[in-house]
Formats: sequence, structure tokens, C-alpha cells
Amino acid sequence: MTKHRLRGRLAVLVTALAAVSVVLAGCGTDSGGGSSASSGPIQIWEGWTGEEATAYAHLVTEYEAEHPGVKVSSLYVNNDDTLQKVLTAVRGGSMPDIAYLYGSWAPNVAQIPQVVNLTQVVKQPGVNWDDFYAGERDVATVDGKVIGIPALVDNLAVVYNKKLFAQAGLPLPGPNWTWPQFEADAQKLTDASIKQYGTAYVTPGTEDTVWHWEALLWEAGGELLSPNNKQAAFDSAAGLRSLETLRTMAVTDKSMYLDPTDSAYANLFNSGKIGMLVTGPWDLSGFPNVDYGVQVMPSYPGSDGGHQTISGPDNWVIFNNGSARVTAAEQFLLWLTAPAQVKYFSMKTGDLPTRESVADQPSVVKAMDASLPGDAAFVANLTEVKQARPQMTMYPKISTVLGNMIVSVLLGQSQPQAALTAAAAQVNADLAG
Amino acid sequence: MLSSEHFAGWAFVTPGVVIIVLFGAVPIVWSAVMSFQSDNGLSPSTPFVGTANYRELLHDPVVTQAIQHTLIYTALFVPGTMLVGLVLAVAMNRKIRFIAFYRTAAYATMAISTISEAIVFIWLFDPSYGIVNYFFSLIGVPQQQFLNSPSEALYVIVAMTIWGWSGFAVVIYLAALQGVPETLLEAASIDGAGPWRTFRKITLPLLSPASLFLAVWLTINALQLFDEVYLSTSGGPLNATTVLVYYLYTEAFEQFNFGYASAIAYFLFLVIIVITVIQFWVGKRFTHYRS
Amino acid sequence: MTALSAPARSGTDGRDALARAPRSRRRGWWLPFSPWHLVLIPATVILLFPFVWLLVTSVETPAEALHFPPVLDPHVIRFANYSDALASAPFVRFFVNSAIVSVLTVLSNLTLCALAGYAFARFRFLGRTALFAVLMGTLMVPFQVTMIPQFIITKWLGVHVLASVGINHLGALILPNAATAFGIFFLRQFFKTLPLEYEESARVDGANRLTVLVRIVLPLATPALATLAALTFIDSWNNFLWPLIVTTSTSEMTLPLGLATFQGAHSTQWTLLMAGNVMSLVPMLVVFFVAQRYFIRSVASTGLAGT
Repeated sequence: MTKHRLRGRLAVLVTALAAVSVVLAGCGTDSGGGSSASSGPIQIWEGWTGEEATAYAHLVTEYEAEHPGVKVSSLYVNNDDTLQKVLTAVRGGSMPDIAYLYGSWAPNVAQIPQVVNLTQVVKQPGVNWDDFYAGERDVATVDGKVIGIPALVDNLAVVYNKKLFAQAGLPLPGPNWTWPQFEADAQKLTDASIKQYGTAYVTPGTEDTVWHWEALLWEAGGELLSPNNKQAAFDSAAGLRSLETLRTMAVTDKSMYLDPTDSAYANLFNSGKIGMLVTGPWDLSGFPNVDYGVQVMPSYPGSDGGHQTISGPDNWVIFNNGSARVTAAEQFLLWLTAPAQVKYFSMKTGDLPTRESVADQPSVVKAMDASLPGDAAFVANLTEVKQARPQMTMYPKISTVLGNMIVSVLLGQSQPQAALTAAAAQVNADLAG
Repeated sequence: MLSSEHFAGWAFVTPGVVIIVLFGAVPIVWSAVMSFQSDNGLSPSTPFVGTANYRELLHDPVVTQAIQHTLIYTALFVPGTMLVGLVLAVAMNRKIRFIAFYRTAAYATMAISTISEAIVFIWLFDPSYGIVNYFFSLIGVPQQQFLNSPSEALYVIVAMTIWGWSGFAVVIYLAALQGVPETLLEAASIDGAGPWRTFRKITLPLLSPASLFLAVWLTINALQLFDEVYLSTSGGPLNATTVLVYYLYTEAFEQFNFGYASAIAYFLFLVIIVITVIQFWVGKRFTHYRS
Repeated sequence: MTALSAPARSGTDGRDALARAPRSRRRGWWLPFSPWHLVLIPATVILLFPFVWLLVTSVETPAEALHFPPVLDPHVIRFANYSDALASAPFVRFFVNSAIVSVLTVLSNLTLCALAGYAFARFRFLGRTALFAVLMGTLMVPFQVTMIPQFIITKWLGVHVLASVGINHLGALILPNAATAFGIFFLRQFFKTLPLEYEESARVDGANRLTVLVRIVLPLATPALATLAALTFIDSWNNFLWPLIVTTSTSEMTLPLGLATFQGAHSTQWTLLMAGNVMSLVPMLVVFFVAQRYFIRSVASTGLAGT
């Protein structure tokens, strides 16, 4: 009996406690994001981790020290998740001031009315907009409107395992190498008895699958779409050639490890099980156990595509929370992306410099290469970025079609020509309708 | 007397109902409205397009595939999890040494983060380096492609999720097993019934409310599978693991078709309602409440 | 969902009955231990295998963690991963936030779902079936679709009703989950399996319905309440997407959001992430250990012996 009375009282007490806690929890800061008050910290959503996070935090502290009274409040959001958060916030009227958004989202993000048009801002003296690589500027500009400032740039090159090459008695890849040589090397580096592969490819069918292939398409001299973006152009000889390369390695030679989850290939390379990887500078720090080298992308003999590569720049995007906050956000971003800060960030993290003036400083590149071997090759490779993916809102749909096309060829489910034709038909239908 | 029962009923349910209606039902109705609009999630302009989204989904081949995959997945996952949970709960419903440890192990599978679960299973089922294929090679079964195979990938997801949910089924069945009266079981054994017969005739019927609950809850969850697909196969290979919620997610946040995504969600909602009602109706006939 | 044990009338409880079983019935006579271990041990190995990976990775150096297949017998053990993880972000704050949110969510669920579940199980009131159907319906639409309206509602509440349940407050993490259709469904099923006699006799004795619930039914419901508490705690502790959407400052982040800081889009710090995951698991396991005692309901504690 006593126990029940106790229990009843306990329930009342607990409920009261709950109510009080909820109220108290609210008595803390009301530092909600995106308040339309003209004062308050600059709200940034970014996805820096590890050394990038440390370097970024240092820069923020430096900015606040140089601008007393200005506060920058950063929130970590995994870059993959930022779009969901931003779209919800936009609908709810609670946007941040700045968000880090993938370049591939730019054409669609530009449709958000609250995204600030920075075209005039980047023309201001001292910004040196042209100092940013063309590939970055292309991705930050949608229909002539600049909607972002470059936050990150990268590109694809070939990272190879020197020891495996030596064991196979193969000469290391040279700057003029070709895809037939890559295929031959991959075959010789493959040893099924010890489960060693010449190369690898990611096959989730998402844009990750697609952009790796687009580099080959461009190297083969092909184009994705017609110049007016109205027709598919990839079902060409170049398209066929590039898909054949993949098919030879995946299906015929079986020299290509297929990674459907995008999670194993890097660790496999680090474990010495893969000879060559087409990947970017972000993976280099994941290879502490391998003596690796970096070489430009191979070319196709007889093609005018050369050794060009593909880049995936990302943007800082500003949202309109009132003119005072927009101005503050612009000031911060212009400072953050100024050459001095770009130099600091690149040297600390190994991320490629977003500005040519920084990448042209040999001391900078040398220092980057010393802390992250192979980085210099990726920096130099930035000059091989000759074009960008089509900047159009329909690109995600085209990407899905292409992803399925590539995966079906890699899995041996379809022949390259048939896959190209079917995909082109689908893309043309999507572009028309 | 009658009116006081109505009053009491509503008084008791109101606090919970208010919260669930406000945060659950209202958003659902709101999203229903979205399904009749053309909405890219970006601009505030969302014109009404009537049933266009619904008509589109009826002709979308990926929707058809997604429905198939969702149903196959559910049909395997629900009975699989219930069976594993029941067997383990029966095994764990006794006072043998380390029993708390065994039970905690089952519960822990619910606590693990989905990303950790996904990584381990991706590794276990890796065609070249995974333990499952290694085990197959030992017993003479040919090597499988698992997540690289459009015909096998979904089953790997089934295995992964049964593992992840069996702890839940164990916990539910364990709680239910507490209510099986010892005296009934003793009486049965005195009457000469063997353990299996006792289980079938006494324990299982007494567990039927728990089984109904599990079947309904697991089905509702299985039809909305998302996380494991998102974290491992991204719907591939070649849409083999694309289930309805994954597809509507990509439509919303990759293709910027919010209106269409809402329509898919409502279609799924309909499917879930129908299946749940059928389950309750069937359950009424087979469930045995002691009151 | 559990029936009341008949032994209540004879004054003994289930545990005693089992303890009094002759030893030969509890152990296979051909083995020195119960044959059930032969089932449980392999099952537990399969169940715990991912945790082995998790634990081992949490004490590896990055060089050994970046292997595939994963290295399960590292040469170098590095416990500093744990202190590194704690130091890299305000984890104590995240922990406290998660604790506040989870505990309050559990308490509120136990209260509100018991009330509503009991009403659905025992009372006949106008609109009962329809209302129950509406509640079940809320379980059938995925969160990706409802999160934008839910965000807007939360923001409105924060501005017009109570700041602490608005955007970027812990209250916004608690309130939408303060009662769930799952909890109501679960307890309704349970309550329906209880024999009516005890409640009816108490009503005859003049107790009102609330007293019957609190003093008669809830004590009989400890396994179900403990189960619901444990399940709700996990759900709340591990909840990621809603906190991601609604939190806009680091100080209001919960543990899953904090752990996500180790998981970049391009590279993940696996050793720190797993160390964080292990630390995050501990409270859930503690909650389970505590709740687990109540999974075995002892009728002696219901106080029925005196009635």
C-alpha cells in the first residue's frame, strides 16, 4: 500500500520535474539559426572534419580577432546532409547565413529565391574572381548568375602502388601514358590467387559512378550533351571507347574490383590489394601504409582529349537574412577565400588551393607535398581541368540514367553500344519532356 | 455511467493524442496536400497539378520495381525476424548461467548504430574478401556476388536487418513469455505432454498477442525500409535494392521532385494501411487474450 | 500481452516455481551445463560480432584501421582514441543533452502512453476505433516526407507558444516524441491481456479509473513498462535525422550529431568514430541492465497478496 502511494507521488514529482526541465532547457541561449535580427553571429553550416575542422576553426578565431564585435557561429553538418537541412530551413524560414553546398547541387540551389546573387560582389576590386580556377567559377555560376564562392576544388588522377608495380616488373606510369597501357597494367597487376586487383571502380550507380566515367569520355574526345544541352552526345565513338575500357577491365580481364557501397576501395588500396586507383586528393591521407605515386589520367591514342580530368568543386552559398547579415556574410566569405587564407588552409590540410595564385607558389606546393605526398601532382593536375559537367537542373536525372548505364556494363549485363543507345534515348526523352 | 466512460476515455487519451496529432497527423495531412502540387522544394511556388503526380507514379517503372522489392523484402524480413526472436527468447527465458549476458547481447543489436552494422555486413558479404564467401568455399558452395548482384543484393539487406531487429523481437517475446503461467506448463507436463507439444498448444497461443504486435510493427517498419539501403547500396545495383522510401527520398532530395515524392509516400501509406488492416483482421481470429 | 500468472492465487510467483524445479529438469543429464548454451553461444557470437569490430576499431591506430578486410588483431592498441574523441568536440555537453532528452522522453512516454493505452484497451468511448486508426496511421508515413511540416510546426510553437520547444531547443527534440503511437499500441496490447477481475473488483470497491490504472494495473505491467522504457530510450538516444534538422547550434547537439563530426563526406575518422560509438553504447546498455530486472515480473511486488 505504501509502495503505491509512493509510486503515485513519484509520478507527480517526475511529471513536475519534466515540465520544469523543459522550461529550464529553454532558458538557455535562444541562438536559433537564421533569425532575422540584424545583429547576432554569422551562422555557417559546414562539414569540415579532422584537420580541415582545426584549420577552419583557427581561421574563424583569427577573423573574430581582427574584427572585434563580429561573431561567427559554425555548425557541423555532414556535407551529404546539408541539402536536406537547407531545404527544410528554407521552407521554414530559418536559413543559415552561409552554407557549404556541393557544386553538383548548384543549378538547383540557384532556384531558391533566398540565395544571394553575388555577381556584383565578386567583381569588386581585390576579390580577383578570375584567380579562381575556371572549373570552380563554372560551377558557382548558374545562368550567368554567381551564386556561390568556391570552397573546395579537387580533381581525379591515378594513384598507384609502387611496390605492386615493382613486383609485377612493370614500369611506373608516365605522364604520356594511355588507357590501353592502363588496361594492360591492370591486367598484369591482377592476381586472383591472392585476391589482388589491378584497379577498382565504385558502382553504387550514383554520381560517384558517373563522374569517374565522364573523365574517360572527355579523354576520348567525347561530350556528354550537345552544346545547347538539348541532346545526348555521349553515344558517340568516344562514348563507346570509354565504356569499352571499363568493360574490358571489369568483365573480360576481371582486373577491376567493383565496390557497390563506395566504402571498401580505399582501404583495399591501403592494404596493398589494388594496383591503381582513379581518385582524388581527399583519399591520399587514407593511404599511410602504401608507397604510392600519383600520375595524370591516361589519354586515348588519336583523341584530342589529352590527359584532361574532371573536377568537383563545392561552394559557399549565402542566404538572405536581411541586408546587414548578408553584408557581414559576404565580408567573412571574401576574407575566408582570400589568397592568404586559402594558402593557410591548403598548407594545413592538403586540400588543393582554390586560387591559381596560391597554386603557382612553388613553396606552397612543396610544403603541401611534404606533408601529404602526391598532393603536388594533384595541384598541377588542376590545369588539366578543361570543362565542367553541364550546369542544368536536369543533371541529376541524367546522372541516374548514366549511372545505370555504366553499372550494367560493368556487371556484364549489357554491351556498351546497346547500353549507350538506350541511355541516350532515355536522356533525350528526359530532356525533351 | 456510460457518459463517464466516454469522458474518462477522452480524458485519458487526450494528452498523448494531442501530441501525436499535432506532430504526426498534421504533417501527414500537410504532405498529402503537397502530393497534389508540383513542388521542387526550392522555390515557394507550388502550383496544384491535381492527380498528375499519382498518374505519373502509376506509369513509373521504378515505382513498380520498388513495390516488388519492398514487398519481397517485407515478406522475408517479418517472419524471419519473428522466428529468430522467438527461438532466442525461448532459449533466453531461463535461469542458466550468463543469461543476463545473452539477453544484453540481443538487446545490444538494437543499440548499435546503423552505420556500424552496415560496415560489418558489407564486409562479411564482400564477394572477394568476406567471410560468407570464404565459408562457402570451404563447404563447396560457389562464390556469390552478393551486393554486386542485382538478384542477391536484396537478400543481403534482409540478412542485415534481421540481425539488427532480432534483438527487438527477443525483448518483446521475453516480456510476453513472463506471462505464461508456470502452473499451466506444469499441469501439461503432468498430463504427459512433451515440451514441443506444450509449446505449440499452450505457449504459442498465449504468445499470440505479442506475435500480432510484432507482425504489425515489423511490417510497418519493413515497408518503410530506408537506412540500410541508404548506407550500403544506394538502391543498387541497378535498382535491385530500391525500395519505396529510398526511391521517394531520391526523388525529393536528389531529383527535387517533392510533390512526386509525397505522392509515392501516400501510395505507400495506402499499401501499409491495407496490409495492417488485414493483419489485424486475421489476428483477431488467431489471437488469444486471456481476458 | 502477458497473462497474469495463475500462481498469484496460490501465493507463489513464477521465479520460485522455476527455482523449485528439480535440477535434472534444468540441465541435460548428458552435459555438465544446460544444452541451451549450445544454441545461445553461437547465436551470441553472431549477435555480438559487429561489436567486436566496433571495439577493436576503437582501440586501433588509424594506420591499422584503414585496412580491408578489417584488422581484428591489431599490433598496436591505442586507448588514447577515447580521450581524443572526447577532446575534439564538446562531448560532455552532447552527452548531457542526449541524457536530458532521452530521460524526459521515456518518462513522458510511460505516463502518456499508459494513460492512452489503458483507455484504448478498457474504455468504450465514442470515436475510439477511429482515433486508434488515426494514431496507427501516423506510423505509416516516412519521416522524410513529414519532416518539413513538422519543422514548420515546431518553429511556430517556439515563436507563439513556448520558446523552449522551438527550433534549436532540447524541448523540440522531446515534445514531438513525448508520446508515440508505438507506445500506445504496445501498452494497449499488453493491457488487453490482463484479466479483468482485478480491475473490476477495484472499481466495485469504489476506486476511480485513474486509481485502478495506477494502483492495480501499472504494477502488473512492470515488464511491459520496462520494455517500453528500454525501447523508447534507444530510439531517443540514437535519433539522428530530426535533431539534425532542428538543431542549429553546436551547444544543442545530441550525441549522434556529435559523433557525426567524425564522419566527413569524403573521409571518416573511424577510430575516433568507433570510440565515440562505444561510449555512446554504454548508457543504453546500463538502461537495459536496469530494465532487464523488471522483465521478470515478480507478483510478490504487486501488493495483491494483501487485497
